[in-house]
Amino acid sequence: MSTDPHRPHRDSPSSEGRTSLDEDWTQLRTLLLSPEQTQLDELRDRLDNRAVQPREISRVLPEAFAMRGETDQHLSKVLTPYVENGFVAAVRKSPRAIVDAIAPIIGPAIRQSIQQVFNEMVQTLNEALEHSMSAKGLSWRYEAWKTGRPFGEVILLHTLVYRVEQVYLVHRETGLLLHHVATGAAVVQDQHVLSGMLTAIQSYVRDSFGASQDQTLDQFHVGDWTVRIEQGSRAYLAAVVRGSPPAKLREDLRDALDRIHAEYADSLSAFDGDAAAFHAARPHLEGCLQAHYEPPPRPSALKLWILGGAVMLALSWWGLTIYQTHARWSNLLAGLRAEPGIVVTVAKSTWGAYHLEGLRDPLAKDPSAMVSEAGFDSSTVKATWSSYYALEPQLVSTRAQSMLQPPSTVKLTLEGDTLVATGSAPIEWARETKRLAPLIPGIIHYRDEDLVTRSVPDLLTQINQTVVHFSPGSSAVEKGELAALSSVAALLGQLDQAVFQSGQGVALEIRGSADETGPESINVQLSKARADAVRTVLGGERLGEATTIITDIVTGAKQRTPKRDSANQRIASLHARLVQVGKEISPP
Amino acid sequence: MMQKKICMLGSFAVGKTSLVRRFVSNVFSDHYHTTIGVTVEKKSVTVNDHEIVLMLWDLYGEDEFQKVRDSYLRGSAGYILVMDGTRKATVDTALALQQTAARTVGTVPFVSIINKSDVRSEWEIDERTIEQLRERGWPVLFGSAKLGQGVEELFALLATQMVSAPSCPRD
Repeated sequence: MSTDPHRPHRDSPSSEGRTSLDEDWTQLRTLLLSPEQTQLDELRDRLDNRAVQPREISRVLPEAFAMRGETDQHLSKVLTPYVENGFVAAVRKSPRAIVDAIAPIIGPAIRQSIQQVFNEMVQTLNEALEHSMSAKGLSWRYEAWKTGRPFGEVILLHTLVYRVEQVYLVHRETGLLLHHVATGAAVVQDQHVLSGMLTAIQSYVRDSFGASQDQTLDQFHVGDWTVRIEQGSRAYLAAVVRGSPPAKLREDLRDALDRIHAEYADSLSAFDGDAAAFHAARPHLEGCLQAHYEPPPRPSALKLWILGGAVMLALSWWGLTIYQTHARWSNLLAGLRAEPGIVVTVAKSTWGAYHLEGLRDPLAKDPSAMVSEAGFDSSTVKATWSSYYALEPQLVSTRAQSMLQPPSTVKLTLEGDTLVATGSAPIEWARETKRLAPLIPGIIHYRDEDLVTRSVPDLLTQINQTVVHFSPGSSAVEKGELAALSSVAALLGQLDQAVFQSGQGVALEIRGSADETGPESINVQLSKARADAVRTVLGGERLGEATTIITDIVTGAKQRTPKRDSANQRIASLHARLVQVGKEISPP
Repeated sequence: MMQKKICMLGSFAVGKTSLVRRFVSNVFSDHYHTTIGVTVEKKSVTVNDHEIVLMLWDLYGEDEFQKVRDSYLRGSAGYILVMDGTRKATVDTALALQQTAARTVGTVPFVSIINKSDVRSEWEIDERTIEQLRERGWPVLFGSAKLGQGVEELFALLATQMVSAPSCPRD
């Protein structure tokens, strides 16, 4: 009997019977082996069709990636170029989508960075303002100037308790740097070399003292810096601290290190030199960048009030002084500019020093006197005056009076550019004045139509004709005689002026006399009293520079005239004559 | 960016520091300064279009008074054994140091170099010795820190080997 159910039995007696048997066999086979037959057909189909089906690969691809990734980095190396090219193509094709994708990451990072810089700047500014004017602040400002460092940095260094400037996360076994953060103020050398040296130093120290592996170098000091090291099983943290770090800093370093060990346990144990995975640990390290500054002592409110009051008082006094000085200076300038014969061309005032330049007529008021009157110290006012002739009327008049020396009987007036002389004057003076007047600066013309001029002989004659009459027994000059004596006084003035200019003198003798009534002795006294009275009316001993008055009496022996009536004897007569100056004057 | 720690190993005065300074700063000094402890230097190289930062731990030279400590070797991704061609004894020191390194960091890439090829006539290390080293599987290069010969090739070869080698950190 054949064991193959599929093969038909060729030795059957009849064809009909065989056909029926085959059908039965086929039916039985179908009933018994249908599921297996289907599977066999599928397997045959797979074997015949060797091409890989995407659907089948999609089932195993994730698991395959995961398994190979755990084994080595070959898959990453193979895929990296394709991922990079794909990323570049994606950026070029749709940059907006990339921006939208990374904005949630980049935005906070940028904001945090800006905020950190801004905070440092504000802190520096605040410190600078708080210490800018104190005695300590001034000494620090001097230190900043001396060392060439910014003032804010000097303040921070002096008020600094401690500041963590750098934090290194280092792989313990290899000494390779896993990550590093630093403040903006830190001086960062090559952090990779430093992390290697830190590790080497720890080994060196430990080996040198024969310490065991669990005995580690925890910290060391270099100048203002302290390096604190916190050891972990796979990595350690090294914090570079300026100042005196508190004990709490070690706790914070410990916490950060524990978290890093917990979050990056696999990366730490499988570390082969690629530190990219530890960039995400940056927040833990930045949390260790702490700083603490001494709060500046707050001055009490009373001190502030006193200080503020003193400052305000000083400012007020200073302002008042400035205002008053400015007002006095303005008044001085106004006075100088209003003064005839003074022209101010330059006036400067610079922090208590004053400078004046200008023109001054020699006849004008002294400017230095005006400066002193205005309350300025003459040493603080430097003045330079150039001489000139001013043409103001009053100065021209003064100049004419000064140069022409008119007699008292002459009145000089200025009418525009014309000098007008009136009154009476010796003819010699009038003649000289007519020549000199137009030469005086400011005077173009000269007029003397109304000036009465007399010569010296005329004046002598007119004076010598004067006789003053007295009442009987009286030596008082009567009112009616005063007008005549006033004219004589004017004539004497002109005579005096005329002879003075010629270097001569005038001797005026006043002779008193009395009538013959009464005793002789009384008459002598009366005659003398009458001569003295006339002299008194004329003005005393001297009438001018060149005139000398002497008195005399006319007694009976001296009567040269024929006997006159008694009224003509009660007189005082005037006798003027020219004398040489210095010659003794005696009655003629 | 990948970082790799490399240790410079060898007897005293074989030229470890000179090789590092020539490689990092391209300078050489005839004045000998003994290294106390460790000096760490850094140099970036490019291997197969990938930038690698080599952290070079220049260890003090081993002699009869001081042995290189394991702690400095830990975590190394590779090391360089330096010998002085004019002193045959430095080969023995290199052999001992290689065993120490292998014991400490495991099977990591290393390269050996016989320094001072500028005075080749004064060499004590003969061809037979060099052949024996190569038979041990050591890559042996010749170089001169003084002339700058073989220095770039030395570090480039080690960097290439480190990149090709599977990472196998030892705990």
